[in-house]
Amino acid sequence: MGSKQLNLPLPQARLAILLSYFFCLVLDTLALLGDASILTPPLTLFALLYWTANFLDRTHLFTAFILGLLADTLYQTTLGAHALIFVLITFLMVRHRLRFKSYPVWQQAFFAGLYMMIYQTLNFLFFSPVLDNGNFVPYWTMPAASILLWPVLAFVLKRLTTMIAYR
Amino acid sequence: MAADYYGHLTGSIRSALLTSISPLEHVATFPQHIYEWATTDFTNINALKIENMQLKTKILLLKAKQQQFANLELEVERLESLLGTTGKMTRQSVQIATITYYSNNPLTQFVTLDKGVLQHASEQQTVIDSKGIMGQIVQTAAASSRVLLITDPDHQIPVRIQRTGQRGILVGTGHDTTQLNFIPKNSMTKVGDLLESSGLGGVFPAGYPVAIITQIEMPEGNPYLEITAQPIAELHQASKVLILTRHNDKTETEKMPATGTDQEALTNGQ
Repeated sequence: MGSKQLNLPLPQARLAILLSYFFCLVLDTLALLGDASILTPPLTLFALLYWTANFLDRTHLFTAFILGLLADTLYQTTLGAHALIFVLITFLMVRHRLRFKSYPVWQQAFFAGLYMMIYQTLNFLFFSPVLDNGNFVPYWTMPAASILLWPVLAFVLKRLTTMIAYR
Repeated sequence: MAADYYGHLTGSIRSALLTSISPLEHVATFPQHIYEWATTDFTNINALKIENMQLKTKILLLKAKQQQFANLELEVERLESLLGTTGKMTRQSVQIATITYYSNNPLTQFVTLDKGVLQHASEQQTVIDSKGIMGQIVQTAAASSRVLLITDPDHQIPVRIQRTGQRGILVGTGHDTTQLNFIPKNSMTKVGDLLESSGLGGVFPAGYPVAIITQIEMPEGNPYLEITAQPIAELHQASKVLILTRHNDKTETEKMPATGTDQEALTNGQ
């Protein structure tokens, strides 16, 4: 994490945060068009975890709830189910974020993978998806895929924030 | 969550949320639209002429079939009056809609249509394509609506086997197939049998083709057969679909304008 971004107050980065949520929602919507959404983590939750870890003056729980409701609408699930999962995972991140922030990116990626494992387990318990042989492996590989994705997302969001805040 | 799951009491909230994510769906499908626009623009004029001819021929054949259908309708009405049964035929009107977004995911299978509350689309309306039933509208926004496909794991439709009349419940599996439940082992079901909507439950109109049986298994210790069926409708290929509206639904009928371009009355035995 760059030192510039860590010292930023949240209002200065608000535009970057809103833009990141918008693009992540678009990408999540795009992933639904094919089978990609089984393997790729929900990018909106990923971005939310990133901002929660980096801006310590807010809990981000209300944002998690709203994004969860949008995810429920997008995935056509019971209203509030994704919202509950998002809030729970954000709460876990809020409890852990001081330590999480001090980790190097590769270590953060492993913890992000752990959060995604919790997400996927809750998803499995809540929605009981019918997984045949073709989908079982990609479904449970998603946390591993998110480990690879975290450094990319962290890099992109860091660049976006610094670009907008110091333009 | 409980209000939505048990009571479906969050309709307006869902509509507002669906309206808010509609622009995202448009942005997400933008690359696809660009591709379609580019490929259409460079289509050979001869190919368009051939397609036009084929469509004209198809219309002619359909018109000929419709004449027969009108005769059959009259005959059924006469027979019904002789038998003393009335109210068996339900007049329905259709509204053409375009698919603007879809989910091909095993966890949830739906399509989004470009017709919403403003165009008098409402929940529980049946959606069909040229071959059979696709699903039903489960959410409506101002200018769009969401259709839960019959292959979605949460979708169930009462059907009957056309050949034998045996009734059952067709459940989606999430993998482009469906499963027919509650058919006992002693029934005369065969691979290739056509499943049509039975009309029980009052949501789906009766007599529309739904799926074809592709596999039958007899598990030991289970009194029912395990039947897999392939949907007849082109769930992931169709771009234009029809929304069915019953004419006996007074409020809907009064609201709907009778423009000949996108609505036509049709009848269906129920």
